Amino acid sequence: MMISRNALGVAVALALFGAAAHAADTVKIAIAGPKTGPVAQYGDMQFIGARMAIERINAAGGVAGMKLEGVELDDACEPKQSPTVANKVVGEKIHFVVGHLCSGATKPAAKIYDDNDVLMVTPAATNDEITAMGLKLVFRTIGKDSQQGPTAGNFIADKIKPKLIAVIHDKQSYGQGIAEQVRKTVEAKGIKVAMFEGINKGDTDFSALITKLKQAGVDFVYYGGYHPELIVLLKQAREQNLGARWMGPEGVAVSDVKGEAAEGLLVTLPTDFSTDPANAELVKAFKAKNEDPSGPFVLTSYAAVQVIADAVNATKATDATKVGDYLRKATFKTPIGEIGFDDKGDLKGAKFEVYEWHKDATKTPAK
Amino acid sequence: MNEFLPQFLQQLINGLSLGSIYALIAIGYTMVYGIIGMINFAHGEVFMIGAYVGLVTLTAIGAAAGLPVWLLVVIAVLVSVLVTSAYGWAIERVAYRPLRGSPRLVPLISAIGMSIFLQNYVHLAQGSRDMPMPDLITGYLFQHEFANGFTVSMSNSRALIIFVAIALMVALTLYIGRSRMGRACRACSQDMGMANLLGIDTNRVISFTFVLGAALAAVGGVLIGLSVGKINPFIGFVVGVKAFTAAVLGGIGSIPGAMLGGALLGITETFASAYLPTEYKDVVAFSLLVLILLFRPTGLLGRPDVEKV
Repeated sequence: MMISRNALGVAVALALFGAAAHAADTVKIAIAGPKTGPVAQYGDMQFIGARMAIERINAAGGVAGMKLEGVELDDACEPKQSPTVANKVVGEKIHFVVGHLCSGATKPAAKIYDDNDVLMVTPAATNDEITAMGLKLVFRTIGKDSQQGPTAGNFIADKIKPKLIAVIHDKQSYGQGIAEQVRKTVEAKGIKVAMFEGINKGDTDFSALITKLKQAGVDFVYYGGYHPELIVLLKQAREQNLGARWMGPEGVAVSDVKGEAAEGLLVTLPTDFSTDPANAELVKAFKAKNEDPSGPFVLTSYAAVQVIADAVNATKATDATKVGDYLRKATFKTPIGEIGFDDKGDLKGAKFEVYEWHKDATKTPAK
Repeated sequence: MNEFLPQFLQQLINGLSLGSIYALIAIGYTMVYGIIGMINFAHGEVFMIGAYVGLVTLTAIGAAAGLPVWLLVVIAVLVSVLVTSAYGWAIERVAYRPLRGSPRLVPLISAIGMSIFLQNYVHLAQGSRDMPMPDLITGYLFQHEFANGFTVSMSNSRALIIFVAIALMVALTLYIGRSRMGRACRACSQDMGMANLLGIDTNRVISFTFVLGAALAAVGGVLIGLSVGKINPFIGFVVGVKAFTAAVLGGIGSIPGAMLGGALLGITETFASAYLPTEYKDVVAFSLLVLILLFRPTGLLGRPDVEKV
């Protein structure tokens, strides 16, 4: 009995030692986003971008003599599930996270990371409150809704000039947040917002709302939310010949949004850097793996991994606070341009642009 | 009046077609309850499986194209009814039959377990993403432009759901009322033990009930999937809750009650959404449910003697 217990102790010690030795030559980066659930397509963008970055950085010799190792975790875009993921990251002593993706899921996770000395760079969450919580270790490689909303609002007011606009949202942090920004912007420019209403995530019948929009004589609708509900909205609007033009944020830009009903949809997206000549070689690498680099979160995820790697390289430290301090003061050359972060961890000079969506799920810059 | 009427009509159509969706699924809940007094919480998931089988069938024969649309829809519905009925039979066999005679709460929990199992099973087998259903049923049953320029329309896919829900309700009422099997079902619903003593194979009757319920859910799954244009493993839960509410509202156990409850719930939701901010539609619909149950605890058309769960 005694012997076996000792043997067990030795085994455990060896195992721990093994783990520690292993940890010394890799830097683990958790990649947290939705792999399941209705918006898993966005997760794909994030995962392929981050994987590519890790692969290429390792091929070029890794960081500070260590290899990067991606640990992929699924939060299903659920605010209920993301804290579990965050606690797992903390429990496994991973110091860096690329993610999360949905603003609703990011918020509770960000707090946990910050409390436990984990550095988080989200490539996709745009809700303003995420960095406004005053967390020192939270960064993002994408703009904020307070930048995206006005981009959309100004485009509506200056280019479209609708007579009467309705703003619909899905009552989630992301959707409602950006819808409020758009309303504020267009109202400031003197455009009348006839309706500002929330729908239920997961609903499949919006015909009553569509009839109401039609009755009000709305000629433009802004939808703040994700694509599953927008697809149904567009289909049912077409069924009733609503005749209004639709617009949405980057959360509706996936290949499932297609067909006649989607033609002419306007979308605000971070600038598409996949057409930038400077990225030609990287784009070729994606294409060789049969992956699409033009999704809105692919290159932002690549950049998120890269800034962490560069910071670890420069500071020769895997300490979240030191890396965080470095992120705030340095600039980084990434596929999304030369970037830097402000004191709050927001991307400096972030920009959104308006694109027009087509029935084959391609996009062109909107005029 | 002239301004009000066209929109009102359109909302009424919206409400009726939404109500028919609820009713089509509610019939399944109510039938199982009426006969064995058990709420089959897995019914929503059976509906979801019906939709998936329909999609798989359409995808499989899609390559052979050239078939007229109505034939495609009929084939999808038939295949879905067959496969989904097998699921219905198997669910009863695995999760409910071994529990026959146990306290009423036990099969209820087993049903919830089955519901969660099926949801996760499809989630794992098919992925949890939204899958687009082909846009097969297009066009309008009617479109009428009123003097004020407002066009009231009803699409064929929605008209089909209303028509099928009514047809199934009538057929089912006749079948339960007139056929030999229907008589056995009614006997079981009155007194299971006595029916058994009189030579009715009650296990067979119960199996039949589940198969029929699953077949109804399959029809609903395919048609509603086609109308909405996308499906995912969670549609059963979302619609199931509403359909169950409709069944309770109409008086659980009563087939016309399911239709009435569905229509009432659909219309209430639609009008709440039309004349109040959309956020309030569920609040209004469920307040109505509470109110009706306060004054008529057995639902609108429920018999007062069924007091089981």
